[in-house]
Amino acid sequence: MLDKEKCGEKTDEELVALTLKNQDFFSCLVDRYEEKLMRYIMRISAVTREDAEDLLQEIFVKVYRNLNAFDQKLKFSSWIYRISHNQVISHWRKSKTRPTVLKFEADEDFLKFIATDEDLARDTERKFTGEEVRGIISQLDEKYREVIVLKFLEGKDYKEISDILEKPLGTVATLINRAKKQFAKIVEEKGVKF
Amino acid sequence: MNKLCDKVLCKIKEEKIAPKPRWHFLLKDYFTWIMFVISIIIGALAFCTMLYVFSNNDWDLYKYLHTSVIGHIMLSIPYIWILFLILFLALAFYNYKHTKDGYRHQAYMIMLLSIAGSALLGTFLHTLGMGEAIEDLAANAVPYYEKITCCSHRKDIWNQPAIGLLGGEIVRIIDSRDFELKDFNGAIWQVQEDEDTLEFEPLKIKAGEEVKMIGEEKKENFFWAREVRPWQNKGKGHPAKARVEE
Repeated sequence: MLDKEKCGEKTDEELVALTLKNQDFFSCLVDRYEEKLMRYIMRISAVTREDAEDLLQEIFVKVYRNLNAFDQKLKFSSWIYRISHNQVISHWRKSKTRPTVLKFEADEDFLKFIATDEDLARDTERKFTGEEVRGIISQLDEKYREVIVLKFLEGKDYKEISDILEKPLGTVATLINRAKKQFAKIVEEKGVKF
Repeated sequence: MNKLCDKVLCKIKEEKIAPKPRWHFLLKDYFTWIMFVISIIIGALAFCTMLYVFSNNDWDLYKYLHTSVIGHIMLSIPYIWILFLILFLALAFYNYKHTKDGYRHQAYMIMLLSIAGSALLGTFLHTLGMGEAIEDLAANAVPYYEKITCCSHRKDIWNQPAIGLLGGEIVRIIDSRDFELKDFNGAIWQVQEDEDTLEFEPLKIKAGEEVKMIGEEKKENFFWAREVRPWQNKGKGHPAKARVEE
């Protein structure tokens, strides 16, 4: 059995190389990404926790199968998020349902991000400090919701979002801008107060 | 080890799952790139044929052909080759988008790159005479090609002896100035040249050659040629010389 302390100081990329030699090292990557990916799946889909666990298991098996496809030019986290994103989309296609109401928790970090975003503050002339942010994000178009989740909830930068969603940087920037505008419009129309 | 980690590793071990080999992904990537390059090359071949057909459609003669400039341009557009070009540009775009880094570039940049690639390579191939070779090949090998290409009307245009336009295949040399020609309807004509007749390079008056002529129908199935041009290409004109009889 692998001593987990051996994983602690290793980078993701080093763990990938080690896993290819000894599959036990894969448990380090699973430990490292399990919670993050579980949160991400719950944030972009409306599945139950049980379904999310099944999805997560499929994702890790897929990651393991495709370890040799990992491109060192990317961050490992971008690559594993990309696989998770594609797996969720594929799950939607199979079940023919797309999420309409999300069940994620708007944590403190997220609210802080939204609250301090200069563009949003300028567009809406408001400070965002309430749980209704969650409701607004649920009302965003799917394509905008994805980038908002990655940018504000997962804390990814433009390059990482581009690699995860496999869209050009310019398109990511445009989507984020439009997402902010739609966010501001919903705030204005609904008269949401935070 | 936590529950999920156990499950994942158990599944991997029980089902003897192994990472796919690296060559599998490399092969897929190379295949996509090769398909992209092939699409660009076929697009370039379509482009060079398009250039050849468009540039070889009697541009210096349209004033004799009783049509307007716009009309002649519209009749000269090689629609079938344009369709071919669009089809292979779309394939090139699809393949590039599916390369490993294809998503990093905007769609319009990829389209511009594909168009520029096909146009540059196509122009180069055109200068090597590839367009003519493909056009000839298509005319011989593709059934109904002449009906679907832009210039199917060309033979009709050159089958109007009453207004001084006649084309067809030389079937026999009669003497130093006269030869026999089978027009595009299959009728046999006697064609007469004289010292005022201009012949355009790379014409060779011999049996089997296809020609087009501007002149005058003197009487039934007898045509005087003021200009004789090869059916396809045209170079510099020079006065007709008397031929040595075979």
